[in-house]
Amino acid sequence: MKATIIIINHNGCDLLARSVPAALEAARRAGGHPVFVADDASTDDSIEFLCKAFPEVHVLALPKRGFGAACNAGVEAAETDVTLLLNNDVIVTPDFLAPLLDGLARPNVFAVGCKFLNPDGSLTHALGNRTSGQWQGGLLYIHHETRPEVLERTCPQLYPNGGGMAFWRDKWLALGGFDPLFRPLYWEDVDIGYRAWGRGWQVLYEPASAVYHDQGSTMGRLHRPAHIELMSAKNAVLFAWKDLLDIRLFRRVIAAQARWAADDVLIGGLPNRTRALWWAFRQLRQACRARAQAQRERVRSDEEILALSSGGEQ
Amino acid sequence: MSEKAPAGLLLTFARRGEDDAILQAIARLREHGAAEVAAVGTPASAPALRELGVGDIILYGEGHGARAVIGKLRRRRPRTAAIVYWDSSLAGHLKLEALALLTGAKHVLRVAPNSQTVTIGRFRLAWIVFLKCLLACVCTTTAAAICGIAFLCLRARQVIVGGSNAGRV
Repeated sequence: MKATIIIINHNGCDLLARSVPAALEAARRAGGHPVFVADDASTDDSIEFLCKAFPEVHVLALPKRGFGAACNAGVEAAETDVTLLLNNDVIVTPDFLAPLLDGLARPNVFAVGCKFLNPDGSLTHALGNRTSGQWQGGLLYIHHETRPEVLERTCPQLYPNGGGMAFWRDKWLALGGFDPLFRPLYWEDVDIGYRAWGRGWQVLYEPASAVYHDQGSTMGRLHRPAHIELMSAKNAVLFAWKDLLDIRLFRRVIAAQARWAADDVLIGGLPNRTRALWWAFRQLRQACRARAQAQRERVRSDEEILALSSGGEQ
Repeated sequence: MSEKAPAGLLLTFARRGEDDAILQAIARLREHGAAEVAAVGTPASAPALRELGVGDIILYGEGHGARAVIGKLRRRRPRTAAIVYWDSSLAGHLKLEALALLTGAKHVLRVAPNSQTVTIGRFRLAWIVFLKCLLACVCTTTAAAICGIAFLCLRARQVIVGGSNAGRV
């Protein structure tokens, strides 16, 4: 099974110096797989550096359209059945590839996510491992498992962290890739995982495929923390508007969102939520179109998706 | 604690990360002559408040209604109340400000992390509560309108694609 490793980059020349050699070594050890870098209009020396230091890497020089669009362009350019997406701040371990491909060989699997470790190898606050979700207070609350003893076996998860995931390219294309609704960042991977489950496929977590991730080292240098928080909150609202199709639950979630403004004055402490609602409202037309598409694709209920992705019985 | 002894009243949501501000508020209450400090807490926040040195906790929630809590607070006749804010913007916290007003405290200390404590009188607090009530009405109406419009549009698109039973399990 051939796979294309795609590293997404924007102004991360120093990060590429560490992540590309690790990816090349892993690709070589797994039998020789192509490595791409999808460059989202970097203004630093990323492209020159890659061409000079790693001529075997295919560089896709893209116009500035954001993380999701760069991922989509990279997957479209790949010619293999399987594709891997990696953030430029993710350092793979030498044998990370084979377990992902084994996971994808299982029936009905769309994607397999890596095991994300902190740079020091710990799991404290590590994000993206064995993800599961629960609707609460107007949003889907994502649980990221961090207990080492629970993270030792392959199991279903809600979505694969976009920073390190392998998937079938044809299924990705059938889903339409990362939705531009979630520009500029965050929740696009939750959305594609949720839609894959809704379409009758599976998403797995693979502990044997370990990668080191320096959380936020890419986004932290591109956006202010307050802006990241606001955009993430906006996308959390849009995710609910797009993907929550169970009308009873949807009514409850929307009612909870309507109460956020009152809570902000009565209690306070989470002022981003009300602003996020306004930012999401500005994308309502797009969200309506996306919801119609989600309705067309869906073969499982929201309840089934959350139960199955958290390891429940099918 | 005797219900007739003058007490300082600590009003806080006791959220994670507020410990320093709570300790600062307790210290300021003592500076204002409070022999003992009482606080309103939920069964969940009470242990944390006790750990921070608050001995007299009036429980709210899980069977302890708002009216009973206000009655208990008034009987303690707090001269000074300290409200702990999440940040220096002093936004939100209308619940605590209204409670401080209802207990009849003459002075209210507004304590926020990394900023100076501000003392305000009862009339100033009443004005703040009034303005925030207005703000709450406007914000809630706007949010309800946004969510209502969003719900109708999103549901309509879903029904057009999936029929009237779309999303009904």
